Amino acid sequence: MSLLPVDRPSTSFAMPFKHREVSGRVLITNLVGDFLLLSPDDFAAFARGDVARDTALYRSLAERHFIRADADTRQIADRLRARKAFLNHGPNLHIVVVTLRCNETCVYCHASRADMNATHTDMTPEIADQTVKTIFATTSPSVTIEFQGGEPLVNFPLVKHIIEAARETNKAAGKRLEFTLVTNLSLMDEEKLAYLVANRVQVCTSIDGPERLHDRQRKLPGLSAYGSAARWIRRINDAYAQMGLDPTLYHVEALLTTTREALPLWKEIVDTYVALGCRALFLRPVDPFGFADRTGQIVEYPRSEYLTFYGNALDYLLDLNKKGVEILERYAAIFLTKILAGEDPNFLDIRSPCGAAIGQVAYNHDGKVFTCDEGRMLHEMGDSSFLIGDVATTGYRDLMGHETVRALAIASNLDGQPDCVNCTYQPYCGTCPVHSHRTQGSIFGRMRESSLCAVHKGIQDLLFTKLGGDDAEVIDILRKWTTVRDRTHFQQGVVK
Amino acid sequence: MIELRFCREIYRGRSVDEAIKVFAPHADMVRSEGPEHWVVQVSAATPERERRVAGELGNYALGLTVKSGGAPGKEDGPG
Amino acid sequence: MTLQPAGALPADLCTFDAQGASVELRVDAALYPLTALYGAAYVFIDRAFVLLGREDATHWRATLAWKRGTPPEGALRELAGEFMNELLSCAWRAGISEESRSILEAVTAQAFAGAMGPPALDDLDNFDFSEDALDDPLGIAMSWEEKYGKAKSADAKGDVPRDPTKDAEPRPETPQATKPEGS
Repeated sequence: MSLLPVDRPSTSFAMPFKHREVSGRVLITNLVGDFLLLSPDDFAAFARGDVARDTALYRSLAERHFIRADADTRQIADRLRARKAFLNHGPNLHIVVVTLRCNETCVYCHASRADMNATHTDMTPEIADQTVKTIFATTSPSVTIEFQGGEPLVNFPLVKHIIEAARETNKAAGKRLEFTLVTNLSLMDEEKLAYLVANRVQVCTSIDGPERLHDRQRKLPGLSAYGSAARWIRRINDAYAQMGLDPTLYHVEALLTTTREALPLWKEIVDTYVALGCRALFLRPVDPFGFADRTGQIVEYPRSEYLTFYGNALDYLLDLNKKGVEILERYAAIFLTKILAGEDPNFLDIRSPCGAAIGQVAYNHDGKVFTCDEGRMLHEMGDSSFLIGDVATTGYRDLMGHETVRALAIASNLDGQPDCVNCTYQPYCGTCPVHSHRTQGSIFGRMRESSLCAVHKGIQDLLFTKLGGDDAEVIDILRKWTTVRDRTHFQQGVVK
Repeated sequence: MIELRFCREIYRGRSVDEAIKVFAPHADMVRSEGPEHWVVQVSAATPERERRVAGELGNYALGLTVKSGGAPGKEDGPG
Repeated sequence: MTLQPAGALPADLCTFDAQGASVELRVDAALYPLTALYGAAYVFIDRAFVLLGREDATHWRATLAWKRGTPPEGALRELAGEFMNELLSCAWRAGISEESRSILEAVTAQAFAGAMGPPALDDLDNFDFSEDALDDPLGIAMSWEEKYGKAKSADAKGDVPRDPTKDAEPRPETPQATKPEGS
């Protein structure tokens, strides 16, 4: 913690604030996420309450609700309420695992895959129908059904069944409906593509980096996993362009899992994404779920090394943006939206409380329901702590009111978390109680030892260093990364 | 023989009793009470087994106590 | 002051028993309430045998025993250190929960109100209406006869006599007859 000593701090001048030293300046934040980067002298003056009213510093502080005498508590309350608006509704993201079968073997696999002949791990139409019924009981006005696996294209008939059942159910429900398919693309063909395009299903895939890295980590017997994915990324992007859709907005989304082998390849990874026409990449660190645990010795690394990788990649991305290449980093965009735009993009893993059940629900191939996909993966590893019901027997309200869901909402509320309560980044951050459970033995966890906290703090340190720097072009680029353009083509149904 | 002394201020009596029931098939147990403790003497065929049963019984009693909200303010008595 | 070897834990707080493969920790009860001790101990029951006790009037005792075999070099020290860290975390969290109770409750309540929404007819089918009525200080749930009927004697069958020495207020099952206002 980078706390600074202050002589004779005032107890009446400032509204409650937190502070942290970032690259030689002092970052202050408040309850609603306003921030300022001050020089050490200005910070000392602020903390002492020694700032004259007719100064630029006073005006900056007052505008951002840092001064008690000028604080508009009603406005603060309104903004806080707006930041927490995601609490007004239930889960909008519904992850449906249509099969565990997969034709690729990935070193860090989350999904606890099954072999291609394990047809007993396919979701049945009956379970699918019950799943759709549960999904549409949500109080959220919008529903995103995300097909996952295994490899969901292995059970494509069921994907179609769910899409059609969801559309039919939505005629009465009237929700804003979207579909996403998370696929390795190796089983794609023109017929499947035609269906997905016609039915406005967003496609998301994994690209771990350059071909040699991708193929080493993702084994596709007899073929290049990268070659297959790259071919279909281009084909799908072409299909969107042929429909007249804006290619800057409509394209295949890709993300990677950063393994130890990827750490020195930050430039090649970014270049690979740019070459594939991607407009975003999500530099996710490896996590402790699924096969990654078993192969931890191969793929894991200290988070300080990840942050070096991330910082290098971020700098390179910003350089590319300066040259007119439009590509953003997703982690940064999520934090920057909260920091600069004052909005919560409702990324379920980085919010307080987290989205476990109340923001997302995971439905396994056998109808079992989990608080999140991470909870489902733990179940496949033998730990069913986050199982909350079954689509056949558990009603929606019983799922939401489950004691595990309540426990996770409390455990992930940063207002009750040691370390987080004093952390400058609390307004923008979030924790994952399932991650804490897995790595530290309790859903509360100890943030000081949490690898997830280290990543979040490190990324925000990097971002605030940039925001406090004197490169106006970089700040402008980072601001642009907060712009969310609705992909209305994928939105279906009518919101009542 | 291993003797476990469960402090009444910390452990719920019913939780200790429940733990004894669960682990009774695995070792001989003799339960008694002191002014400040519930006492459980665990005897098994081998020292290793005794240690394991005693340890797991203690954990189980603790788990049930925590789940019940902790030891009661007043004596709740044996089950 | 006796200097401890580098990496050693304070001897007055931490006693290692190599033969028993266990470590005994002396925990200040003023710093660490029982709820914190429970919280920390529970986290460790998958890794160790945990026994809690009263050391003296001002201290708890937590004994952590290695579950199986001989612990590797340094493992007991690590266990003890992690336990103390968890204990600190639990103690601090208990304090924070009290201080931040109102915001924690408000956020949690909103989260579940938003997620669960109002009950549907199917949910009301399962609702248990058999619970005792809530307190009814205004007599809203009373029937007209109960509220305005003649007062009955305490010996009347079915009445529970009211003992003014015991009951501060009338028992809800036998509402007192009152005269309507204005009469």
